[in-house]
Amino acid sequence: MASDQIVRDRPAATPPRPQDGRRSARRRSRLRTAGWAMFFLLPSGVPLLLFTFVPMVSSAWVSLHEWNLISEMQWVGFANYAHLLTDPTTREVFGHTVLYIVGYFPLVYAGGLALAVVLNRRLAGRTFFRAAYFLPVVTSWVVVALVWQWLLNPSNGLVNQILGFLNLPQPGWWTDPSWAMASVILASAWKDLGFVMVILLAGLQTIPQELYEAARIDGASAWQQFRRVTLPLLSPSTFFVVVISLINGFQVFDQVYVMTGGGPAGSSQVVVGQIYELTFRYGRAGEASALSWLLFAVILAVTAVQIRGQRKWVHYA
Amino acid sequence: MPETTTPGTTTPGTTPGTTAGTAAGQPPTVRRRWSARGGGDGAPPRADVGRVLLYLGVGLGGLIMLFPFLWTVVTSITPGGNLSGGPSLIVEDPTMDAYRTLFDTLPMWRIVLNSFGIAVASTLCQLVTGSMAAYGFARLQFRGKNVIFALYLATLMVPLQVLVVPLFIQMTRLNLNDTYFALLAPSVASAFGIFLLKQAMESVPRELDEAATIDGASHLRIYATVILPLVRPALATLTVFAFMSSWNSFLWPLVVVRSPELMTLPLGLSTLHGQFTTEWNVVMAGSVVSILPIAIVYMFAQRHIIAGMAHTGFK
Amino acid sequence: MVRRRSIRFTALAGTAVLALGLAACSQGSASSSSDSDSAEGTTTIRYMNFSANDGHEEDLDAIVEAFEEANEGIEVEVETVPYDDYFTKLQTAVAGGTVADTFELNYENFVTYAENGSLAALDEINGDAYQDSLLEAFNRDGTQYGVPTSFSNVVLFYNKTLFDEAGVDLPTGEWTWADEKAAAEALTDADAGVWGDYQPISFHEFYKTLAQSGGEFLNEDGTAAAFNSEAGVEAATWLVEKSGTTMPTEADGAGTPDFDSNLFAEGKLAMWHTGIWMFGGLADTSFEWDIVVEPGNTQNASAMFANGAVVSADSEHPEAAQQWIDFLAASDTTADIRLETSWELPPVADESKLTGYLEVTPPENRQAVLDSLDAVVLPPVIERQQEMQDAVSEELGNAAAGRKSVEDALADAEQRVNDLL
Repeated sequence: MASDQIVRDRPAATPPRPQDGRRSARRRSRLRTAGWAMFFLLPSGVPLLLFTFVPMVSSAWVSLHEWNLISEMQWVGFANYAHLLTDPTTREVFGHTVLYIVGYFPLVYAGGLALAVVLNRRLAGRTFFRAAYFLPVVTSWVVVALVWQWLLNPSNGLVNQILGFLNLPQPGWWTDPSWAMASVILASAWKDLGFVMVILLAGLQTIPQELYEAARIDGASAWQQFRRVTLPLLSPSTFFVVVISLINGFQVFDQVYVMTGGGPAGSSQVVVGQIYELTFRYGRAGEASALSWLLFAVILAVTAVQIRGQRKWVHYA
Repeated sequence: MPETTTPGTTTPGTTPGTTAGTAAGQPPTVRRRWSARGGGDGAPPRADVGRVLLYLGVGLGGLIMLFPFLWTVVTSITPGGNLSGGPSLIVEDPTMDAYRTLFDTLPMWRIVLNSFGIAVASTLCQLVTGSMAAYGFARLQFRGKNVIFALYLATLMVPLQVLVVPLFIQMTRLNLNDTYFALLAPSVASAFGIFLLKQAMESVPRELDEAATIDGASHLRIYATVILPLVRPALATLTVFAFMSSWNSFLWPLVVVRSPELMTLPLGLSTLHGQFTTEWNVVMAGSVVSILPIAIVYMFAQRHIIAGMAHTGFK
Repeated sequence: MVRRRSIRFTALAGTAVLALGLAACSQGSASSSSDSDSAEGTTTIRYMNFSANDGHEEDLDAIVEAFEEANEGIEVEVETVPYDDYFTKLQTAVAGGTVADTFELNYENFVTYAENGSLAALDEINGDAYQDSLLEAFNRDGTQYGVPTSFSNVVLFYNKTLFDEAGVDLPTGEWTWADEKAAAEALTDADAGVWGDYQPISFHEFYKTLAQSGGEFLNEDGTAAAFNSEAGVEAATWLVEKSGTTMPTEADGAGTPDFDSNLFAEGKLAMWHTGIWMFGGLADTSFEWDIVVEPGNTQNASAMFANGAVVSADSEHPEAAQQWIDFLAASDTTADIRLETSWELPPVADESKLTGYLEVTPPENRQAVLDSLDAVVLPPVIERQQEMQDAVSEELGNAAAGRKSVEDALADAEQRVNDLL
């Protein structure tokens, strides 16, 4: 309807007429681009501004108060931040979160990439396999946690039975503070394999087949094709997976909440877990907001480094 | 990667490790062998062994991935729905009682319809708002682009857990609580989808839209007729993720919905957990009901991810 | 080709706009149903609760219906939220100023809301109808802020068949910890997967066993923790030492969903400390079971869980709201429905109303439920309740897993609780 009219009525991209001065032509073209930018960005910009950005600003305001949600807010300035920066719990929850990312990301990326490459080939029943590997992504964490608590049950779980059979040590998994996070990582990587696979599969699909053909004519081995064609051309998708996995990884919560509840003895408590507890169980919403802004600063810094560094390895068309 | 697929192993004169550039005078037989692999006939015997191993690996992995779902189904048709004794795939006296209980105790049709409607609306909105913004970021040069993109990404960096209360207060002031609009509004646009599509669009060769520009096409036309068809796999991917995140969202619906008529699936399923005890067969039946629609959406999107190939013009 | 694509796109955009439009329209219909006043002068009272979830929704509806019949002009709109999510929703609603006129609070959380001025004082309640101790629980500094709606307590469940097979004497109301321990040891049979005893190692069990040993949790004016005492060590040791000897450990699966109820229902648990809310689920087991008052150490003490109903300070109809919660809590209709459906116990003063309850079996010895009330201990409450409960439970868990000695764990718990006061 409306968009069709725009197509007809606005020959926006016609090249500037030669009689215009170069400067004003450039300005006009810039204005026109600005107009197009508004057109393309407003439909997402307005809702994001209203329903995410405004609440973000509110939460920054809350972070300067003491507030238990059920009574009036008390102004405390930066006291929440000061308290968090000196509280050893803050360092612990950030440490656990980083540990989670360090364990989770390589597993899920390597696994997801291998799966995507394999399931991109002509295999009988690959539609079925793609669906099978995606099912855990859509299964609720409540169910997944139950299954993994059994698999990793220290006394009679399947994993420890296999380890016992191989004469390997059998850890206490989620009941042992030093292994609780490992249990969360295993379950999360398993569940999210399909997520990474789907994104990388879509990326693989956009790689022109001619490039492989050309490489084959040049006698490139499968490994060489993978290194020189697949990886570089997949790098925009990989970049997306890295940035999103880090942003999401820093906000890991659901799996910790249902698998270990942050325990035992707080050994697997993560930043957002702490934020949730502070807000909804402990009536310290101001402190929770402050903590989320510390988290924001960390994620922002990490993402900025990613975006800076992308020039070195991300190849756009 | 399986070593068996290396042309060097079957073609004398090409040693493995030769860089792509040096083997220019490759005999055509190699090419035929490569193209024959896809059809499955004429492949060398060693490749068959590799293929068997591959199938074994993929099949075994697939079973491990499928197991929890199968177990969910099995528990949902097991009478009594007891969780003890560990996961089992054997059913004695299968029964649909749990599903009957589920549909008797909850207005399931209404609930599923609510969830489905909101998920579809949110997905469509995200496809439109997301692909438009992605085009803006990938193809337009305007001042402050990087800052604006950073602000978009920033919306992903504050956890929902602290945004829920301010957002709820905001909705209360706007008198929008307990409405479909409030349920939908926060998921009309997502920086996740914009970023995903922007990355896909950046992979599209610029020569294509430059050609269109010379033909006098506007940005809107290039967006709709050149870029969108080329990023169909990414659009299909976003469809799956947008649908899924709306379908599974819990915290926001929990606080914003009051009327039973607006209840969504995760809210409905959460009421099956009692304060002291839970009937797990009913919970698992609910779980099956909630997984199937996303699985169907995924299968549907899958075909488009593959179909996307036919339209790229690359082949 | 180009043309078709752009049409298809337009259709897509159009659908999205339509969906938005539909959403905006439907908003009208959804909110109109919850308007607080309708034209004919009826008053609508909203009631939010957790205890009707998962099984008692229809029972609550029946109470509402009876109330509306008896009080023309007042309508009650019920909102039932599962316990796990209840407080998230309640707090957000209070923060947004949209909290229901009346809502349910358990005794432990009541104090936090009373102290923060979220509750209206109740001045139209007939206190005579309630059991004094329960009514008192919802009184803060001389003001009645809530009425008790129901209570339940914890007793010792035992598998009679297992006791008979092992030739161990059945528990009685006169038992002490020593008797329980001896029986638990005799009944634990690791090879058969049978455990003698199960008692969660948590705040709620600790404050009770502390009382059973004659200890106090907080000092008299509630300014400091008092549980790091001889009695405290004895109570914590009693709980912790069970783990791994007569009781399954966390590594055996303790603490996972429904672990203990499954174990008991399968006949693999001889004694079980749990609430009377489990009666319903155990109505048809393959073995015989019964209950007794929980054994004490130096004295008897039974845990009681009380739920109450309160009126929001923001309610526009405080009188109608009070009428509703009074009916919900103390009417004969409610008492009858609760007893008929085993939905906890009504807080009524007149014990004769409970006689019907005692006639239902199993368990044979329902009288133990009422006997337990003779020596009841309520959980200690402070404003930062949840943090205190979590801290104590966590430290006890450390002791149970052998990460700390009982003494160290109690000392650390004492420190953490003092920091919260």
